[in-house]
Amino acid sequence: MKSWMTRCRIHARKGWASILVSLAAVALGACSMLATAAEKVLTIAYNEEPKTSDMQMNTSDYMIPFNVYDRLIECVTTGPAKSALVPGLATKWEISKDGKVYTLHLRKGAKFHNGEEVTAQDVVYTFDRMLDPATKALNTDALDFIAGAQDRMAGKAQTTAGLKALDKYTVQITLENAFVPFLAILAAPQCSIMSEKFTRPLGNKYGLTADTTCGSGPFIMKEWTLNDHHTLVANPNYWRGRPQIDKLVIRIITDSETMRMLFESGEIDIFDCDFAISQIPYFTSSPKWGKQVLSGPRAGIYYYTFNQKIKPFDDVRVRKAFQMAVDRKLILDKLYYGQGQLENGIAPTGLIHYNPNQTKIPYDPDQAKKLLAQAGYPNGVDMEIALVSSTGSQWQKMSEVIQQMVQKSGFRVTLKQMDEAAFYATRKEGKLPMYTNVWSADYNDPDNFFYTFFGPKGTVARSYNNIDQANFDLLEKGRAETNFAKRAKLYNDLEKKIVIDQAAWLPMFSAKHLYVVQPRVKKFVIPWNGWSDLPFYEARVD
Amino acid sequence: MLPRGALLGNWRQWEASQMARFILKRLLISIPIMIGITIIIFVLLNVVPGDPVALMMKEHISVDVVARVRAQMHLDDPAFIRYFRFLFGALRGDLGESYKLQRPVAALILGAFPTTFVLALWAALFAWIVGIPAGILSAVKKYSLPDNLFMGFSLMGVSMPIFWSALLFQWCFAVKLGWLPVAGFSSWKYVIMPAVVLGWSSAGTIARLTRSSLLEVMRNDYIRTARAKGLRELPVIFKHALKNSLLPVVTVMAIQVAGLLSGAILTESVFGIPGVGRIAVNAIQARDMPLLQGTVLFETLLVVLGNLTADILYAFLDPRIKVN
Repeated sequence: MKSWMTRCRIHARKGWASILVSLAAVALGACSMLATAAEKVLTIAYNEEPKTSDMQMNTSDYMIPFNVYDRLIECVTTGPAKSALVPGLATKWEISKDGKVYTLHLRKGAKFHNGEEVTAQDVVYTFDRMLDPATKALNTDALDFIAGAQDRMAGKAQTTAGLKALDKYTVQITLENAFVPFLAILAAPQCSIMSEKFTRPLGNKYGLTADTTCGSGPFIMKEWTLNDHHTLVANPNYWRGRPQIDKLVIRIITDSETMRMLFESGEIDIFDCDFAISQIPYFTSSPKWGKQVLSGPRAGIYYYTFNQKIKPFDDVRVRKAFQMAVDRKLILDKLYYGQGQLENGIAPTGLIHYNPNQTKIPYDPDQAKKLLAQAGYPNGVDMEIALVSSTGSQWQKMSEVIQQMVQKSGFRVTLKQMDEAAFYATRKEGKLPMYTNVWSADYNDPDNFFYTFFGPKGTVARSYNNIDQANFDLLEKGRAETNFAKRAKLYNDLEKKIVIDQAAWLPMFSAKHLYVVQPRVKKFVIPWNGWSDLPFYEARVD
Repeated sequence: MLPRGALLGNWRQWEASQMARFILKRLLISIPIMIGITIIIFVLLNVVPGDPVALMMKEHISVDVVARVRAQMHLDDPAFIRYFRFLFGALRGDLGESYKLQRPVAALILGAFPTTFVLALWAALFAWIVGIPAGILSAVKKYSLPDNLFMGFSLMGVSMPIFWSALLFQWCFAVKLGWLPVAGFSSWKYVIMPAVVLGWSSAGTIARLTRSSLLEVMRNDYIRTARAKGLRELPVIFKHALKNSLLPVVTVMAIQVAGLLSGAILTESVFGIPGVGRIAVNAIQARDMPLLQGTVLFETLLVVLGNLTADILYAFLDPRIKVN
């Protein structure tokens, strides 16, 4: 049965008369949306409309790909902040000795939701589509190191030279240079596999509705009402077996208070505390919900940046002084209710090559004041922290606390409110003053943090301007280093250099990710990286 | 000499043609208003710094990708070329494609409008059904307990921010009492709370206006005459006073409906209703020029039509008011 809203939309196209019909439907529509009692439905809330299910066009909303699509390799959570790469659509793979050629063997019999079998040609099509300039893809960074990718993106080639279907079930991917994180990247949602036969005719209309979405994952997109909800139903032909829940309903709720009330009234099954951090004490202290709070570490880090092209942070002594002037533990305890741990590096807890013995950044406001004086600011210095006006108040609170905290060391902080569009536009020019944010791992490799923030382009585009050729060379070396121990040492040393010696950023902490779940929900696993987007294949509901 | 019937017929014909000319004139005047508004929005969005592609990529920003996608979306074209591209498209009914939602703007607005329409109509009905009787009762029983109660109720409706009353209603009727769903828009139950919250403010305005207008009319000589002739109070109020006192109320009602139809941003956000208001929020947050232009144009059109409807109703309700 079509839902009331879907009917309403169909009627709308037929003009004004149909609006009256839909009005009548409201008055008489009590019988709609009937779900059979036996149906096992898991309802969750998401705070933003994902806009498209085409993962090549979406850089942040991954709930759909994790549930509707598959990847060649999957990254599964094996414990708190622990993950492993396991076979997905590819059952096995070989890597050439020079680390440039990856040969992946596909699973036979895995099918897309349209009934077509997943083949090597679909994989080649998917990745080539990402690099095809006609797609206008936003995620090309995930694959632009494949041989021939640059020519393809520039429109100089009709295909990507490094992508080949050797036979129906074997794909060969050749990289421009050896790139160790490649397997981990293949497990990222951006690399979800699409059906060529289904996708090609749709062009840029792919993924805008339920009818134009086709993956091979555990759930099939059945219904999509923009800004309202998505309904995914269990895929009976899924190669890992049918999911235990019959239906996954994702409701789009932008207001965090409404989300909490939906949870308390039982209309949604899982409350993600990341959408309303201020609710944490309420839930943890509630006799009703306290036992239903689940928490897990996240491979993510909260941080403040230093723009080395804007005074006073062009001077390493000032940067070090600021690091020392911030009492990070106090902020973690008071604003994040102690749910997390301090971080002193770039790679957070849970990430490969994480170094728990990294040199600690001390809290020493007196020493900070001395350093500031040595740098030529004995009477203190003015500085700015940029904030996005439309984002959560938590960022504002944290910066206000820091504004007061660093005053005693001589930093006079002005909080600069900015519109989100202006914030990102200024940041990509490398001109944004200090700002704060959180980064959680897209894939389990230090490259996802180090190169993103301190690579030659990232360091400018993220307004660090930590231009150091030696660092860039080491980052390239790290990408190609296949020896695990050598690679760990390389990143650990580089981390110390960037954070302690160069004081190029201020790592704060990795806050735990808390969820509150209804008692009827079973087998709910907090993802290793702490994302709010997670797969529900394993989930159960009573 | 023409017979009386023919004279009357000619007169009505002349009146109808005058009305048609009036409506046409008002619609033509609205065209430069709408163009002016699109220019203002366009200039404002171009003056303030910001990049919709950078915003789409957010934390995964890459300068190369931003540059490439900007060129592909013609965002690097001069501003006046982009504006005229939009304007000529709009004249053909094509409002362009949303940067963020990647769908045709006209389809997005028309897709969301039935939801907003249903919400607005129920809110307006609530406002009228509650507001007008409350206003009448308050006027008839002025300074009595019911008058104070109704005026207190209307004052609360007018002064309480919608997001606050929405949260109170949700907490009370959904979380505590469990009578109604918290948010969504899937069946008639979902319409009740947002319609009442949205209509409350309008009901308050209508009640206060009806009361003051009715009290003013009741002081007129013809009302005193009607009473002196021995008419009972109810016919005096409903037959003689109410019709005249409703003139300003009708004007406000028509404008209120136009406002409600153009998207109740806060109500739709708090109650998770996928209407035009949510589309407008999407557009503003994402610096989505085509979507913002489209929603503003649509809302302007509704306000213009609302005002026009009020003027026409005026002419119908009061024979003394002529369109010329």
